[in-house]
Amino acid sequence: MSDRDFKRWLCLGCGFSYDEALGLPEHGISPGTRWADIPDDWCCPDCGTPKHLFEMVEIPYAPGQPTPQRPPL
Amino acid sequence: MSNSFILRAADRGHETILSTGPTASYVGGHPDAFITRQSSFNFHDYQSGRAGFGRIRVFGDETFNNPGCSYNMHPHHNFIICAFVLSGRLQHINTTGNNDELLAGDYYAFSAGSGGLHTEINVHREPMNAIYLWMLPDHLYLPPSYVRGRFDAEASANRIKPLLGADAALPIPQDAKVSRLFSTKPGRHVYRPRSSGHGVYCFVIDGTLACDGTTLGSRDSKGIWNATEVVLETGDAPADALLVETIL
Ligand SMILES: [Zn+2]
Repeated sequence: MSDRDFKRWLCLGCGFSYDEALGLPEHGISPGTRWADIPDDWCCPDCGTPKHLFEMVEIPYAPGQPTPQRPPL
Repeated sequence: MSNSFILRAADRGHETILSTGPTASYVGGHPDAFITRQSSFNFHDYQSGRAGFGRIRVFGDETFNNPGCSYNMHPHHNFIICAFVLSGRLQHINTTGNNDELLAGDYYAFSAGSGGLHTEINVHREPMNAIYLWMLPDHLYLPPSYVRGRFDAEASANRIKPLLGADAALPIPQDAKVSRLFSTKPGRHVYRPRSSGHGVYCFVIDGTLACDGTTLGSRDSKGIWNATEVVLETGDAPADALLVETIL
């Protein structure tokens, strides 16, 4: 995985995931938003765990779920 | 040469979670209920220990005190949540359609996957003590799933009995395995992880045993990796331990 690739982060409080490629449009975060660009005081929308307690993961999606994407050049 | 860490019972994270005040929406059973949680790895307000071990992120020794004490129905994603009931009675309800009462020896694995919800409740006067184990799955957004099993201490005494995962009757979607040893007599038990890339977390539920030469008492634990085998030596007195094997 290169630095350029979109990455996924997992909430260690409940398992909620943030995928840079997908963003969270329903929470006002557009697709392609980098983790670093999300405010430090952002919390998990499901359980309130603060951003710094998320962990970057390289776990693939199950079949039929979103496929990992690369940002446009 | 194998590597290891030792975690004594008193060195775990300790939290008391009330059913009143800021945690009231999370813990039910107002006003008398409260949960005590002793965490082997960093979780919630406890962040000064180890982050986890392999795919294990949470290993909580939890007691639900007073009738109605519960985690209210809450969403989960992706984590595989397992509970091993040690004493008391646990009511586990989840959105895959299960509503189970689990007694001492019973256990379950709930893979929350794409968004299963669950509630955990003790409706009885007797406190309920369980080990809660959370593992990362091998895929995100799997369909939620649930399996339950029972450890019969008498029938399975004096041998390492697989409970969950590879080679066990109940599979979980991760390269991990949970076994239990209930010993009533002196013995030497050898646990062989599937590869030296797998680590083993040995947690003593009750009694005393030696794990690769380290004496572990009740609720002490040891993590071992880069090992082809882990040797557990038991004495005359009963000893009870969980072994969690995980890819690192
Ligand atoms: Zn969360």
